[in-house]
Amino acid sequence: MAYPYVSDQEVRVLSTHFGDPSHRRVDTYVERGGYEALKKALEVGPQGVIDVVKDSGLRGRGGAGFPAGVKWSFMPKDSGKPHYLLCNADESEPGTFKDRELLRWDPHQLLEGCLIAAYAIGAEQVYIYCRGEFFETTQILAKALEDAYEKGYVGEDVMGSGTTIHVTVHVGAGAYICGEETGLMNSLEGKRGQPRVKPPFPAAVGAFGMPSTVNNVETLSAVPHIVKNGADWYRQWGTEKSPGTKLFCVSGHVERPGNYELPLGFPLMKLIEEVCGGMKDGRALKSVIPGGSSVPLLNAEECAACSLDYEGVQEAGSMLGCASVIVMDETTDIVKQVRRMVSFYAHESCGQCTPCREGTAWMTKILQRIEDGRGTEEDLDTLLSMSRQMTGTTICVLSDSAAAPVVSSIEKFRDEYLALIRRGERVGAA
Amino acid sequence: MSDAPFKNPGWAGNTGEFDLSEAEVRGDDFVGDRERAGAHPSTSATYPYMLAEKNPDVPLFEGEYHERFEKILTQYPTKQAALLPALGLAQEIRGYVSPESMDRVAELLELAPAYVRGVATFYTMYNKRPVGRHLVQVCTNISCNLCGADEVLAAFLRYTDTEMGETSDDGEFTVIEAECLAACGFPTCVQINSRYFENVTPADVPKIVERLKAESGEASGS
Ligand SMILES: Cc1cc2nc3c(=O)[nH]c(=O)nc-3n(C[C@H](O)[C@H](O)[C@H](O)COP(=O)(O)O)c2cc1C
Ligand code: SF4
Ligand code: FES
Repeated sequence: MAYPYVSDQEVRVLSTHFGDPSHRRVDTYVERGGYEALKKALEVGPQGVIDVVKDSGLRGRGGAGFPAGVKWSFMPKDSGKPHYLLCNADESEPGTFKDRELLRWDPHQLLEGCLIAAYAIGAEQVYIYCRGEFFETTQILAKALEDAYEKGYVGEDVMGSGTTIHVTVHVGAGAYICGEETGLMNSLEGKRGQPRVKPPFPAAVGAFGMPSTVNNVETLSAVPHIVKNGADWYRQWGTEKSPGTKLFCVSGHVERPGNYELPLGFPLMKLIEEVCGGMKDGRALKSVIPGGSSVPLLNAEECAACSLDYEGVQEAGSMLGCASVIVMDETTDIVKQVRRMVSFYAHESCGQCTPCREGTAWMTKILQRIEDGRGTEEDLDTLLSMSRQMTGTTICVLSDSAAAPVVSSIEKFRDEYLALIRRGERVGAA
Repeated sequence: MSDAPFKNPGWAGNTGEFDLSEAEVRGDDFVGDRERAGAHPSTSATYPYMLAEKNPDVPLFEGEYHERFEKILTQYPTKQAALLPALGLAQEIRGYVSPESMDRVAELLELAPAYVRGVATFYTMYNKRPVGRHLVQVCTNISCNLCGADEVLAAFLRYTDTEMGETSDDGEFTVIEAECLAACGFPTCVQINSRYFENVTPADVPKIVERLKAESGEASGS
């Protein structure tokens, strides 16, 4: 069997070659039609590329879902300044493990996407910011980049077109917040990875003070396919507002966790029951976090009606985020897992904003107290009021992300909190 | 995780159902040996490797390491941007980032020493003090946690006979807890120096510890 798991329900566009080590080699990639999209891009010109990506409706896969072509069109024309494309390969949102697979199984697909995007926004330099922990993955990407330089796909004269595009692989050093686009820029510049106040937006003042665009690995990996096959081809999958395919990272209590590429709008329960082989050991579903640890939890009832596109997940009461589907069965201790997520945010808060720095730390303490059976019902009110103060009040949305699982779990699984509190009262732990 | 079809426990993705070799999964067969001088400038910053052999007293950025440092500088419009790669390089050479290493980096990049310390302490991957030959980082974040990461962490502490964050007496192991490593579909994920070990269960831990000890033995020629 190939690596990793596959399902016949999948539509494999970006993930076609996962598990095929030969695909890392530039010759194999080219034999299979690689770098044809780059050639085509150089023929249709930057505006032609922006148009087709806009028409395809491709939305950013890093979490926010902003249309990629629209973002590119914000870049100034003829600014006379250097422009930068920053590829966000900092993947650290708990539950998310798709970018690593794209990087290590299909590095040229990403490089080709970077080159096309850089060409479209007039950037002569691309930085691929990889999270520092990705030693092995980054070596694969680095080797592929060296091969691409050697073959003339990257460098002074891209495919003989006279266009210059350089690509540099940059490595981080362990900080979740560097995934936030302005934190990433500060980190790239050799500073603490603290997010910047917006505006100014990156397209005006970005890395090194120059116009910049930040895109996720998966977004850029989709670009060659769209440029090569056209917007209508891409729109054959997904919904009107959420077109195309998406990698779903499924983890937790299912029989076959893994990355599955599916059309957007795929039903959540079908993903769990058919694609992932059902719940682990046939146990009952309790809750799903559909978009990585930064989004609200869904209860089983909400899951039943949830379709996995940006709008569908919002209707169900959460967000698609980076489509990191964390599945929890009836045995899950919700309070413990929420505490674990919030302690992550407390660890990763960059400390600039008081509500985030103080809020995440206090929430961790209160949740730990409840978990240990020393909580009170008032603690739940305190948590909810803290969450309100942490939402919409800070430089970046890490603070909001920390509050999301707390609020949704108290709303949807209040009984679990109360059971811990009452048990504590009975044994006199409080 | 099952041993089949390979006898080496804990390589990335070894659920026993796939037919790739460990080298193919990790990419070792494709990447091969890379030069310490840092091959092409565009990728020179992608080192550092986290090496088991740590040498806290060797001089920084000399010979091939100097070459790599110079190549890194060519990739950015400012010298300051080479700070993270340079700190990483110092850690590769010496195993941790000492105050003295930070001062040297500050000097080379024309930055204030206090500024460099401020940046270095922001990032978790710079070891502020020496660690064991094998730095074992067990992910206990949500997806791994749901699948028993706490037990895996406990097993590593037991089989290496260490306390969390403390180095074993023989200098072999330091075990710490890590945040999500972006390998959540194959829980529990454990990063050991530069390698990921996935699908790790408590039962695999003694085998992995043995493997690491054996690798140390090979490296020191005993
Ligand atoms: C706290 C925080 C962490 C983030 N981490 C990542 C990340 O690891 N990878 C990523 O691509 N985007 C991440 N983002 C989103 C980026 O800020 C940005 O929206 C994205 O990279 C843009 O690319 P896209 O439009 O292609 O999605 C993060 C955002 C926040 C607020
Ligand atoms: S919200 Fe938190 S992480 Fe974001 S800038 Fe403020 S303190 Fe930093
Ligand atoms: S939660 Fe452990 S690797 Fe993501």
